[in-house]
Amino acid sequence: MAAQSLSAVDAAVPASTAGAASSRRNRRGSRAERLAPLVLLAPAVLVIAGLRLWPLVLGINFSFTGDGDRNGLAVGFDNYLTLLGDPLFRTALRNVGLLVLLLPVAVAIPGLLATFIFLKVPGHRLYRGVYFFPAVLSPVIVGAIFNLLLAFDGPFNALLGGLGIPPVDWLGDPDVAIFAVVGVHVWATFGMALVVFLAGFATLDSSLLDAAKVDGASLPQTIWHVIVPSLSRTIQFVFVTTMIGMLTSMFGLVYVMTSGGPEGSTYLPEYYVWIQQGQMNQPALASAASTALFLIMLVVGLAQISILRRAGKED
Amino acid sequence: MKQRTPWTAALVVGLALTAAGCGSASGPGNSSGGSSDKLVVWDWKSGDAKAAGYVQKAKEDFAKKHPGVTVEFVAQPFDQYYTLLGAAIQSGKGPDVILFNGGGQIRDRSDALAPLDSYVADDKQRLAGWDAFTKGGKIYAEPVTLQGHPIYYNKDLYQKAGLNPDAPAKTLDEFIRNCGVITQKTGAKCFSLGNKEGVGIQFWLSALGSAVLTPQEYDDWIAGKRNWSSPDVKKIFELWKQAGDTGLNTDGANSTAMFNDAFASFNSGKAANIIGLMSDVGHWKDFAEFLTPEKVGVTVAPQVNPAAKPSLPYDGGIGYAVAKWTKDQKLAADLVRSLTSTDALKAFFVDGGAIASDTTIDTSAGGPAVKTIVSDVKNGKPALHVALGSKTVDLMGRLSQQLLSGSITVDEVLQQLAASDKTG
Repeated sequence: MAAQSLSAVDAAVPASTAGAASSRRNRRGSRAERLAPLVLLAPAVLVIAGLRLWPLVLGINFSFTGDGDRNGLAVGFDNYLTLLGDPLFRTALRNVGLLVLLLPVAVAIPGLLATFIFLKVPGHRLYRGVYFFPAVLSPVIVGAIFNLLLAFDGPFNALLGGLGIPPVDWLGDPDVAIFAVVGVHVWATFGMALVVFLAGFATLDSSLLDAAKVDGASLPQTIWHVIVPSLSRTIQFVFVTTMIGMLTSMFGLVYVMTSGGPEGSTYLPEYYVWIQQGQMNQPALASAASTALFLIMLVVGLAQISILRRAGKED
Repeated sequence: MKQRTPWTAALVVGLALTAAGCGSASGPGNSSGGSSDKLVVWDWKSGDAKAAGYVQKAKEDFAKKHPGVTVEFVAQPFDQYYTLLGAAIQSGKGPDVILFNGGGQIRDRSDALAPLDSYVADDKQRLAGWDAFTKGGKIYAEPVTLQGHPIYYNKDLYQKAGLNPDAPAKTLDEFIRNCGVITQKTGAKCFSLGNKEGVGIQFWLSALGSAVLTPQEYDDWIAGKRNWSSPDVKKIFELWKQAGDTGLNTDGANSTAMFNDAFASFNSGKAANIIGLMSDVGHWKDFAEFLTPEKVGVTVAPQVNPAAKPSLPYDGGIGYAVAKWTKDQKLAADLVRSLTSTDALKAFFVDGGAIASDTTIDTSAGGPAVKTIVSDVKNGKPALHVALGSKTVDLMGRLSQQLLSGSITVDEVLQQLAASDKTG
């Protein structure tokens, strides 16, 4: 890539010197102007092409080769067929679907809490700080904290026991564990969305709220008919960022809290990639899984861009 | 021509800068081997204070034989170890000497390693645990420690329950009866179990295997002729399920990590027994720090099948291998030999409590538990789970969690494991 662009520049220059003989200075200036953008762009283009696109192409190419005895041999779509046949990978994909389904909850929580802060419930200044606090903790620390809290003989179950409710194996029950992990993820990250919501509230027309109050609207009515429509763009933005967060940054929590278990029920594609490459010594299969994850992210990303664009047009 | 120079030069400089950026971003370029006067070792041990004396002794031994060669130890985090190593193997360059776990981890990667048979012949008698580092009749690493699964018990709890702590149960029925008494009198559970990582079943299979399988079945299993539909194999998994169903295990086993929550609950007296390890962690020395050396009992599995001969399951634990891409393989093999020299291994035993592969080391100062373990090593056999491929072991971990939660039957588990074992 680098060599190509160099020789292209070299080839272009003699061609122009052979052109009509006008003022040397003019020609030099125009050549400089033509080349300047190329030179200025070169570092960025080279970094993107050399450190992003080229490894991506290599990775995709690698996913069509074999592992173990077939190392380096082209195997066509074998790895992708293996993925489709692997119940663990299917669980990982199903969990991605579950994350998408849980997205409205993950957006509604910071939205509601931001509304309360905006409506100045008693102690709202304190809550603003407290809610944001977990966002500065690393997933590993959050995971370790909740490992202790959610342990079978941990404080959370002790609390339930005090209320006469039998203990729940939060991280050991395959039907519960994924919800526990997502719940912790939401707890750990909603502070950022809350801040975005508060920024959105700052642009809210207070006369509308006053009018609603004068008309005797209840709190749910105010939220539904005044706040939500006014904040539609903020809500869409939070949807997009929360989705990206859920799909790309849950590895740490899964790793620390459940190791993908119990029974593989909390596998996510990233975790699957890591296990196949690091533990099972199947880098080509891991590449195929990464490519699949990349395609999913591409589809989700494009959908989100189109949503954002539509939201922009409405304005 | 002259006028072009500044732009071309700028481009070249720009390219050079980008290229330099690539170089520095591409990771451990300076910690990979290849030259013959420097050897690079990758491991996850040398950063540990308990292994400092061991590494020092090994370095001294090697320096005596090859004074001009520098040795660099690069301690990698264990969590990422095989991921990083996988990347090095893919690129065909990396460390010269590599630490491995025995069994699947080294066998899966033997393509990238140099056979050591011709270099290590002199050590074959002195060291034990070679099988775990052998594939297709070729040795790929020299064993440093032995790893196995004795059953440890808390003598204090046995005493409190009115049982004789120096006469562990001979049969499983007696063992479980004792557990009942202990739970009744002290509230402690029978087994401290952590199966969050799916490790609990590996320990269980290997610790109980020799008490259930006949010696013939056992040897066949190790040799790769595994009969998953045999009633004895089924029995092991049935016992696992029963132990869960009848409440012998500590609560929440599927969400408890073996490393190190299960060990901690044994240390704190919440359970009377644990299937532990011989080296690294969760072993006699760790337990003795909490319970005092006199209170740590150790035993082989209680008899289940009268035709079986209970023995200590153990293999080579960790061992150093030589990478195929190393220029001077003899030199690297010499370093491996220094890393398994008697003095170095003795330091490892004394500081870290590892049961070393060198059977000539004097372990009498270690307390009663280590004495029992070392004497059991003589009659020990390779552990059953180490003989399985890493895929099957991974699957077994998940299925064992399902057995505990009751969402699968033992027959279905055996079917799936048989299928996975066949495909490797």
